[in-house]
Amino acid sequence: MALYIFKRFWMMLATIFIIATLTFFLMHAVPGSPLEAERTTNETIQANLEKFYKLDQPLHIQYFDYMKSIATFDFGPSIKDPNRTVNELLERGFPISFELGIITILVAVISGILLGTMAALRHNKMIDYAAMAFAVIGISIPNFVLATLLIQQLAVTWGIFPPATWKSPMHMVLPVLALATGPMAIIARLTRSSMLEVLTQDYIKMARAKGIKPIRIVLRHALRNALMPVVTIMGTLLAGILTGTFVIEKIFAIPGMGKYFVDSINNRDYPVIMGTTVFYSAFLIFMLFLVDIVYGLLDPRIKLHKKEGDV
Amino acid sequence: MKKWLVLFLMAMFVFVLAACTASEDAGEETPDEGGESTEGTTESGGDKILLLNNGAEPTSFDPSIGFDAVSWSALNNLMEGLTRLDESSQPVEATAEAIDISEDGLTYTFTIREEANWSNGEPVTAGDFVFAWRHMLDPETASPAAFLAYFIEGAEAFNSGEGSAEDVAVVAEDDKTLVVTLTAPTEAFLNIITNPSFFPIHEATAAENPQWHTEAESFVGNGPFKLASWSHDESFTFEKNEEYWDAEAVKLDGVEWEMVNDENTEYQMYEAGDLDVSNVPSELSEQLMDSPDLVTLDQAGTYFYRYNVEMEPFNNKKVRQALAFAVNQDDIVQYVTKNGEKPAYGFTSYGFEGPDGTDFRDAAGDIVKFDAEKAKQLLEEGMAEEGWETLPEITITYSTSPSHQIIAETLQDQFKQTLDIDVKLQNVESSVFAADQKEFKYQLSRSSFLSDYADPVNALESFITGSSMNRTQWSNPEFDQLIADAKTETDSEARWQMLIEAEKILMDEMPIFPIHFYNQVQLEKEGVEGILRHPVGYMDLKYADKN
Repeated sequence: MALYIFKRFWMMLATIFIIATLTFFLMHAVPGSPLEAERTTNETIQANLEKFYKLDQPLHIQYFDYMKSIATFDFGPSIKDPNRTVNELLERGFPISFELGIITILVAVISGILLGTMAALRHNKMIDYAAMAFAVIGISIPNFVLATLLIQQLAVTWGIFPPATWKSPMHMVLPVLALATGPMAIIARLTRSSMLEVLTQDYIKMARAKGIKPIRIVLRHALRNALMPVVTIMGTLLAGILTGTFVIEKIFAIPGMGKYFVDSINNRDYPVIMGTTVFYSAFLIFMLFLVDIVYGLLDPRIKLHKKEGDV
Repeated sequence: MKKWLVLFLMAMFVFVLAACTASEDAGEETPDEGGESTEGTTESGGDKILLLNNGAEPTSFDPSIGFDAVSWSALNNLMEGLTRLDESSQPVEATAEAIDISEDGLTYTFTIREEANWSNGEPVTAGDFVFAWRHMLDPETASPAAFLAYFIEGAEAFNSGEGSAEDVAVVAEDDKTLVVTLTAPTEAFLNIITNPSFFPIHEATAAENPQWHTEAESFVGNGPFKLASWSHDESFTFEKNEEYWDAEAVKLDGVEWEMVNDENTEYQMYEAGDLDVSNVPSELSEQLMDSPDLVTLDQAGTYFYRYNVEMEPFNNKKVRQALAFAVNQDDIVQYVTKNGEKPAYGFTSYGFEGPDGTDFRDAAGDIVKFDAEKAKQLLEEGMAEEGWETLPEITITYSTSPSHQIIAETLQDQFKQTLDIDVKLQNVESSVFAADQKEFKYQLSRSSFLSDYADPVNALESFITGSSMNRTQWSNPEFDQLIADAKTETDSEARWQMLIEAEKILMDEMPIFPIHFYNQVQLEKEGVEGILRHPVGYMDLKYADKN
């Protein structure tokens, strides 16, 4: 286990290095500069700005500077917002995005599993059809469309929730709903099908024959096995939720990280592009790593390292 | 048995939903603490708090740095320069109580009000202005607004690293007297210094903490409002500044600014009562045009297209003119943009009054106006001049955006209808577009211009030879001369005629063709009044009120 984690750690570093290098050269290959604007400043000022941000240096020197800044986790000042460093932007934006992401995942997982289990237990009954119809709708509607619908209905027309911004738990309801519905629907469908399969297996019949309470059978014996496919797609869902927050944060005016990610590319704000990309990819890679470990914990048959693995 | 289980799971599901709701209720306590002010607005006799949207985090509240509306709309109300724009957008005395202009129009002597104070209670001095203006011109500051100060003697030299700060002709004769010497008489000077980049900076604060402008706690201003709180990338709030010399005239108790960067969300917040002022989302512009809340004002700026006069077929003047006369600007504003803009029959926008009181635009007249017959004839003549059997291929390039796309598509259609020529469309991501346009890579490309200060020369000088705003490779010695002369001419009538002449040359040579002038369209809740918006300049809340 320790060896596996150690190996994965070095793999993670190598991946981040490749991502950082690709990002650097791609962003410099794209025409346009962070100092480009419709309104042109005169050449002296332009030169001053370039000197200030070291954009007048040759590319390889800039590359080494960037690599150094990544190694030390100090990305320097933003070009668009010169009073703040990229680190400050990350420190400010990430906790909010993280909060939104975690609540969304919790809501999606809990309600998705509940919905899927209910549908499986009432197979081919009304509840099953209703739950699956709901799930199909949830998968089909993109989260930004749902977000607009939610704001229009629940905030503007009925006035139950505030339409946007991120100030109180009340403000969190609509963005979380918009973001969680898609993953929830996917989890519900997956839970339902694997639950149906598990429930027909012999050990469940055995458990019933022994007279174990049904609730215990479902929670203890069936669900644990039925959840394996759900854990498998958690990695993909996480990536989906993370990227989904970009759009949702913009619609709901949530001061998270998504804005920096998108705006920095439009502004060619090199330090922010580097900072957010490296940070996001590191985070995502780390989460996938965690999913792998959880997978092994849930199913001891899955060996994290194959060398000693024999049945 | 199964029924029981389903019931239990249902109960769980309801419980989870209820748990969400419970925390929602709990959340209501939070806005109560910070939301006193919001409640206060609904009660009669309570605080008057205006709810606005700034759209994004201000780039900077350092007057020299934040060269954009998201910084200066707010800063314009936190600080005040020597002059301020009044209701009719004319500069009047503000921090300065008297302005003395020498006969030759070169030397300005400002007397600063005795009662003008900073928000920390200290008096505003002439030295604060000297400090701020030198800060703006300092090459180290790299201020994008510094060129606005090039009218001042020694400013350009200092800014380009050749001169020194001491040589900039801005002198504090004593604590309350500021003397400024210009390189040439500049009629618009009092207007130019209403621009936030000319605001003073409290010297002691800035000397002690160069980052004074980045947090609400350390911010020191001299305007009608003071910065009460600033939660970066989220919101900031203003409170009335009791130290302001004209505090009696300020009716609002405070302003709460959100940073909502989505026009539909902004509008929905306005609908839900979370904002008092909103932009009009483009999809809704048609149906909101008749709304009683709608406020439409001119903005000094032009939406136009640039030809590249070195590329075929636009090396021929008549072909340039032909396409320009084939554009039906009225149709574009009426059926395409649908935002109430004025069609542009010339380059310089409305909003600049001449010495005789007529608007520059009216004095220059309608120079380019849709004329199908004329367009066809010009095209024929142009092609004959060049000996072309068929017109070289034309591509219209625009930066990726739905609003630019529909205009480009309309142009494509209008060229086909009127001149029977097929043009191609190409859209390019905006930063790439800006870079390529400056390198003259496009044949025919969209552009826009927004005035920096209220004088037609600001718009016209974009097209002098070598100007970085030119981007057409067009060069005309006569035009260059007129602009240069206008900049030094002391007789305002003669200067005005030169500028009109320059406008006519530009619109005859046609390195560009105009589409429409910009306007400012906003929705304002009933009871909100007194917000000043100028054709050139930033939103002013000094006289704003909310009932």
